[in-house]
Amino acid sequence: MSNFGGIEEVAELALMVEKPEKSEPLGLFFWICVFWVGLNIFGAIFANVLPLQNPLYENFNAINAAPGLHHLFGTDDLGRDILSRVVYGSRISITVGLGAILIGYGVGAPLGMLAAYRRSRFDAILTTVMYLLLAFPAIIAVIAILSFWTPRSLFKIIVVIGVASIPLVYRVIRTATLNVATKDYVIAAKVQGATDRRILMKELLPNIAPIALSFFLIGVATIIVLEGALAFLGLSVNPPTPSWGNMINEARTVLSQNIWLALFPSLAMCLFLIALNFIGDRIRSHFDVTEVKL
Amino acid sequence: MSDDKLLVVRDLTTIFATAGGDLTAVAHVSFDLDRNETLGIVGESGSGKTVLSRTIMGLQPRVNTTVSGSSIIDGFEVVGASEDDKRTIWGTEVAMVFQDPMTSLNPVMRIGKQIDESLRVRLGMSRHDAKARAIELLELVGIPSPVERYNAYPGQLSGGMRQRVVIAIALACSPKLLMADEPTTGLDVTIQAQILNLLDELKDRLKMSIILVTHDLGVVATRTSRIVVMYAGRIVETGTTRDVFYHHRMPYTRALLESSPKVSNKSHTRLVTIPGRPPNLLNLSPGCSFAPRCKYATDQCHSERPELQPSIEPGHTFACWNPLPVNAEASLP
Repeated sequence: MSNFGGIEEVAELALMVEKPEKSEPLGLFFWICVFWVGLNIFGAIFANVLPLQNPLYENFNAINAAPGLHHLFGTDDLGRDILSRVVYGSRISITVGLGAILIGYGVGAPLGMLAAYRRSRFDAILTTVMYLLLAFPAIIAVIAILSFWTPRSLFKIIVVIGVASIPLVYRVIRTATLNVATKDYVIAAKVQGATDRRILMKELLPNIAPIALSFFLIGVATIIVLEGALAFLGLSVNPPTPSWGNMINEARTVLSQNIWLALFPSLAMCLFLIALNFIGDRIRSHFDVTEVKL
Repeated sequence: MSDDKLLVVRDLTTIFATAGGDLTAVAHVSFDLDRNETLGIVGESGSGKTVLSRTIMGLQPRVNTTVSGSSIIDGFEVVGASEDDKRTIWGTEVAMVFQDPMTSLNPVMRIGKQIDESLRVRLGMSRHDAKARAIELLELVGIPSPVERYNAYPGQLSGGMRQRVVIAIALACSPKLLMADEPTTGLDVTIQAQILNLLDELKDRLKMSIILVTHDLGVVATRTSRIVVMYAGRIVETGTTRDVFYHHRMPYTRALLESSPKVSNKSHTRLVTIPGRPPNLLNLSPGCSFAPRCKYATDQCHSERPELQPSIEPGHTFACWNPLPVNAEASLP
């Protein structure tokens, strides 16, 4: 008759109740950011399928046009459609960002994990080398190499920036792995007879994945800025191929006549970077499995 | 050595090279362990008991560590063995239960998978068999509704449940020797008794031996047959549990016993403490390490280190220049 179940039922319930996951919700803004990044990537991939004007077509009847029905973002000083160039420009920026960080992760992440797990002389030597590389300002090295390694191509830019990012990725991954590698469950796996490879893949990798992913996104953002800076110095892909960076560079000279040419690529880059950084940061705090929350 | 001993430890020494000089964490430790026996290793924090238990199974840091002596687990010499060779006995001959169940389970892997792992990798079981065996193990360690728990993440279990899972993982490959390093320190008092009883019961059921490392004499009192008392990396007294509790000769053992709370005490009784602090292992005196804190210490204690010497009971040894009289106080705990 009573509303309360028997004692067994209560006990059963107590056992069944699972502690609520206390991690922060991702929130609406996170998903807006994901949508925005997705949209940019979609645009970059399908730029030539989308109903865009030719980014290289110079319409001399509409030079420095303000945004209007015909040119939604206006045109530049050669009459090229800014919207189309911004979308095509995202190709270069995103390709450089992703490609370079993939090189950084491809080399830096395995080395960082291995060094943190093995320690000993391997770690000591590698870490010293990486820190020496870090001490040298990467941007100067990148500028120097790209100045002399001509003719420039997208591939060379990606390789140079990618190699420059290796020490940074190494440091982040090594630190994250060090944190995990000393945990009891890693030792526990080891004394159960797990091989090093298994420990690296099954114990360490999943536990550093949130940090790795978060830094990956922030790395893409940083490299896009770097590419922008290179383009601004004229060291990125050669015109007339648009990239966000070289569009801003071109806008510099005609800033007084055409504010739109500077505004839209800057805005595109800015919003894309904010979204990436926010997603990275959110992922990190969402998956932050600290002892307290356990 | 005789074949019936599961573990033979001889002159085991572990030295860490630190920035401050060589640190001898374990010095010249020797003891035996029979099959199906429970041995207690007790001592304060920093007495070397954890390093000892890890050195016995060959689990010391790869760098800056020197191990000498010998530790033979069921005929396998651990000291000097390669990682690959040690891997053949880890899990199957010797397994370990850790102190803190909060950190000894991988937070991002389902507990069932964590048990499965060693079954499939070490025993070559199929996915299906491993799962069945894992559920069996969960049941064995007293986890209710093991089938549902199999898919739980560690974060969804309480501390006591997690320690049971840790034990299940350790038992997966039916080890002959279970190292339990402070297995109950991270748990509530009521759960502590449950876990200790579980270990006790499993020991008899699975015919294995247990080394119980703890600072809590209450833990070892009823569950071990013999006790090793450690101080500053050395064995200072060893004997049957009964001898160590009632016929101890070493003042340190006495001090340890006196400092554990007793139920018969009136409430608000002040706990007896050992004056001073554990010695700095980097800077040990040539004499008895306990001498600075010992009320019986003489000049000899400060200058010359006492070796282990037999007491009157068989198997009971102690290291002290001024031992307590035989049968000093039979009324302690």
